[in-house]
Amino acid sequence: MTQFSVLNSIHKKGKFGNHENKNEKNLLKISEINNLAIFQLVKFKHSAIENDYLTIDHLGLPAPLKVTSNDTTRILWMGPNNWLIVSKKLDLLENESKKIDNVNFALTDLSNSKTIIEIEGDLADEVLKKGCPLNINEMKEGDCSNSIYNSISVTLDFISDNPKKIRVFSLRSYGESFYHSITDACLEYGYIAI
Amino acid sequence: MLNIKCPYCGERAQKEFAYGGDGTIKRPELDKSVTDKEWDAFVYERKSPRGKHVEFWHHIFGCRQWFRAQRDTVTHEIFKTVKLDEEI
Repeated sequence: MTQFSVLNSIHKKGKFGNHENKNEKNLLKISEINNLAIFQLVKFKHSAIENDYLTIDHLGLPAPLKVTSNDTTRILWMGPNNWLIVSKKLDLLENESKKIDNVNFALTDLSNSKTIIEIEGDLADEVLKKGCPLNINEMKEGDCSNSIYNSISVTLDFISDNPKKIRVFSLRSYGESFYHSITDACLEYGYIAI
Repeated sequence: MLNIKCPYCGERAQKEFAYGGDGTIKRPELDKSVTDKEWDAFVYERKSPRGKHVEFWHHIFGCRQWFRAQRDTVTHEIFKTVKLDEEI
């Protein structure tokens, strides 16, 4: 399964914005993330199964507003009985789907319906604060949340605190607008598109 | 802007929410015969109180859950928010 880049025509590599006379290490890095398997997992309202029962890629289902992760897979809490599974293993669900019975769970492949932009750098928080009403200061590694960015519905995945790395998911159809929103917010600080 | 406490996600900005109308309205029971007047009341009749009001809100840009909030329509103070299966 190879995914086509959503931002292929607009994501140009290089340095942009106010980057001159700045140490390259301190600049923001903006990248598009591709080739991930993305699935929405929903447990039905009347299911009697406990959430502890299910593990995916050796990961349990996370608590509210949290992420469980290993080197290849991250599971994000999206809402009560609703999770987003994001994995580098493109065949993950083929192996794991036996555990996920369709009496208790609904599994939807969203791999081709998301745009993912990763923001890396100490100022990543400041970029998000420009368009997102969430209290970003309170969010730390291992947290996730749905919110909006300049009126675009997004999912934020706080991957690491050091270096600061945040992955932002939006609907694929909003990809270009969303990319421009993020990169416009980065211009003030200068950024490297990688 | 209001800050609204989602019962699932905690306090968030109003921008993440959608207002869902009067939270005291109950749909007539299924399979029960309903008169035109009862149906008319369910669909159209709403109070517009000055003061405390129970409302539906939808955390549409968050966890996508509906909940009820008790809000003062004059001061916009939100006293309490509860899940739909909880009493306010």
